[in-house]
Amino acid sequence: MTETGTARVGLLARSVRRVPPVPGLGHLSRTLNLYYFWEKRWLFIAMAVAAGMLAMPLPDGLSEEGLVVLTMSVFATILFVTEPVPLPSVALMIIVGQVLLLGISSTEVAKSLMTDSVLFIMGSLMLAVAVVRQKLDKRIAWLIVRVTGTKTSRICFGISIVSGILASFVGEHTVAAMMLPVGITLITLTSDDPHKVRNLAAVLLFSISYGCSVAGIGTPSGGARNAIMIGYWEYFYDPTDPATDIFRVDYLTWMLYAYPMFLIQLPFVTMILLVTFRPEYRDLSRACVKLRTQVELEGPMKPSDWVAIVIFALVLTGWITLSADIGMGTVAIMGAIGFLVAGLVKWEDVNSGVNWGVVLLYAAAISLGVQMKDTGAAKWIAESFLDMLTPIGADQGIGLWAAVSVLTTAVTNTMSNGAAVAVLGPIVLKMAVVAGESPIIIGFITAISSAFAYLTVVGTPACTIVYAAGYLKTTDFLKVGWKMAVMSTIVMLVGAAIYWPFLGT
Amino acid sequence: MADAADIQRELEDEHERRLKRFRILVCIDGSEESYRGLDYAARMGGADDCDIILLYVRTIDQGLHSGGMQVRVARENMLSWGLELPGIRYLRKGLDLLIENAELEEQWSSTVTHTDVEGDPLGDNKVEYRNTTGKSIVLKLKTAHDPASGILDQYELGPYNLIILGADRKRGLFSRQIAQRVARHAPCSVLAARELVPGRGHLVCTDGSDMALDAVRRDALMAQRFQAPMVSLISIARDDGDLQAAEDAVARAKDAVSDIGLEVLNTYARIGDPVDEIIEAGKEYSLIVMSDTSKSSIKRMLVGSVSSKVLAKAHNSVLIIR
Repeated sequence: MTETGTARVGLLARSVRRVPPVPGLGHLSRTLNLYYFWEKRWLFIAMAVAAGMLAMPLPDGLSEEGLVVLTMSVFATILFVTEPVPLPSVALMIIVGQVLLLGISSTEVAKSLMTDSVLFIMGSLMLAVAVVRQKLDKRIAWLIVRVTGTKTSRICFGISIVSGILASFVGEHTVAAMMLPVGITLITLTSDDPHKVRNLAAVLLFSISYGCSVAGIGTPSGGARNAIMIGYWEYFYDPTDPATDIFRVDYLTWMLYAYPMFLIQLPFVTMILLVTFRPEYRDLSRACVKLRTQVELEGPMKPSDWVAIVIFALVLTGWITLSADIGMGTVAIMGAIGFLVAGLVKWEDVNSGVNWGVVLLYAAAISLGVQMKDTGAAKWIAESFLDMLTPIGADQGIGLWAAVSVLTTAVTNTMSNGAAVAVLGPIVLKMAVVAGESPIIIGFITAISSAFAYLTVVGTPACTIVYAAGYLKTTDFLKVGWKMAVMSTIVMLVGAAIYWPFLGT
Repeated sequence: MADAADIQRELEDEHERRLKRFRILVCIDGSEESYRGLDYAARMGGADDCDIILLYVRTIDQGLHSGGMQVRVARENMLSWGLELPGIRYLRKGLDLLIENAELEEQWSSTVTHTDVEGDPLGDNKVEYRNTTGKSIVLKLKTAHDPASGILDQYELGPYNLIILGADRKRGLFSRQIAQRVARHAPCSVLAARELVPGRGHLVCTDGSDMALDAVRRDALMAQRFQAPMVSLISIARDDGDLQAAEDAVARAKDAVSDIGLEVLNTYARIGDPVDEIIEAGKEYSLIVMSDTSKSSIKRMLVGSVSSKVLAKAHNSVLIIR
């Protein structure tokens, strides 16, 4: 190296030395400037909005507590959507806010956090991790291919059906995690060059994620949002009034309403995907042969595999037959105990696989939702919203259904669908009461529409997981997502108008 | 305790060693732009005193979007099938590009380091290729909450002279915001690669301040790393009265470049809005080079700096010198 070369490096090195790289401290000093406020701006905007709402004169028909609860909901919603702080901390804020702002005793707030719905969400998540750990995915994949043959379109349809049926019982995130390697294996076995299989990758992976997403509505265990809605209905139930019996929706009743909706959507999913992305390969026989050799390496089914299947079948039977008496949450927890006691999954795996912050978040959101109802805040918003809808004739009947569906779809595309139902649930149910519609139907429409978050990566759990594999672009979701949203909305509204009346609501 | 002291000394030695080298951090996200940035880095980093570090940042999901089940469960499942996690493929393609550029001709020794990270089955991984002259190429797979903070955290691990990252216009807001954030916070120079075509020279902006002059010098040193260094200078006057000052600024900058031993290709002194004029004139060049603003952070937040506006609006690549 020449002398000028050394001098040159010296000069450049000095530029680096100017900011001493003290580990940790350097980062702190950098984040502790004004940009900290800029990056957390939504937190401060939310705080300003909340302060403004609390300071404004009480609107007609809203109690003081109602205004406080409404403020907390708006604050939490802004934070849910913009995420300036870790989301579980929003849950903690809701808990503290209820004690400090509403003056409810700490024990009361703590009690309102745990309900059967929350237990159910917790138990289902533990079950989800346990099921993924069983490594039955290769066998499922081989089963699909054996039935469908090697034509791309038929494999896609097969993947959607199987992913969907499984997801409707064990939750979409579980099946997305299980089937993701199946999809990617089929892609990589077809061609190593990702550019040659761009469309094939999109069709296969979207078959998994949308297959799971449309199935999430099928049963209460399909997603947290369903359990949350069931939890809200429970509050309409009055043991002294037999007419309110319909508000105790059990597992089977839910399936009666929602399962057909999911089944009808399945063929449309494959059609939309094949039309939007034309796969480069019409036949995947090469990949299928290789997949078969991989499955044969696994050997025959082991006894532990059978035990896992039996435990899962028992949980399913429990949900269908026992949930009305002992609660769905209890059954889910029993299933988790079964997997842990049988040694099929380690507690450490369950512990690291479940995000406990989400359980906390749903618990707090439901507890706030109940406060919305108790303080009359939900009623007030419902009435205001209906007043807005009256001029366009959407204050009752199918117009109201469509309005609720559009509202839910809009909200759910900006935040997780569980949070969307937790926030909207009390409001739309109150709207149904005020408008003289059945809260059951409006509740179903909200829960089902919350699955229509096809447009963004963060909308549904299945989309997030499939996107994490790195094969899809965010623009792919927009390209096909709107067609899915339109198709699903039409199927749901037609179903609600033609099929649900037969069920006697 | 002696061990701890040894390790501390070793770390300091390593740090000293790094300060003497020209280190380029190239952020790879699989896009065309980022590979063009890498190509540019390879041309610039041909000399023996130059290290190239390829970085891919994989984001950790917070669990809410994946329905409460951590994405790591899915990723572990992928690993158990023997499938690659995203990022590895991109980094490998980057390494292949460097080999094409005759970077890996000689014998290189490689070391692999791994750090566990909560929430990701693979954690942080690093493969370092080092040759006999001490030059090294590092592939780094990092997990972070979001790409920008991952890139900035990486800076803490070893100072760099230059960070290169793709700022695709078509992919819109998202990748541009990352470039903006990194450019704003990184303590070193940042090159936002956008339709980066090598060989068309640098256009260096000066406003006559000492800081700008310093940037001109540093860019000239950086340009010297190319086989055909080409530097042009521009200064913008807001109105006729300032034109003389702008011309003086260009002349001083020209002297500074000549002192280093480089020839100046073109000089411009124009009147108009700095942001528009710079972007217009910069179209012809590979890079628009600007010094970081001297404004305080309050002022910068209120009125915005010319450099960050150019970074946001320019049609081609922008290098912010710091």
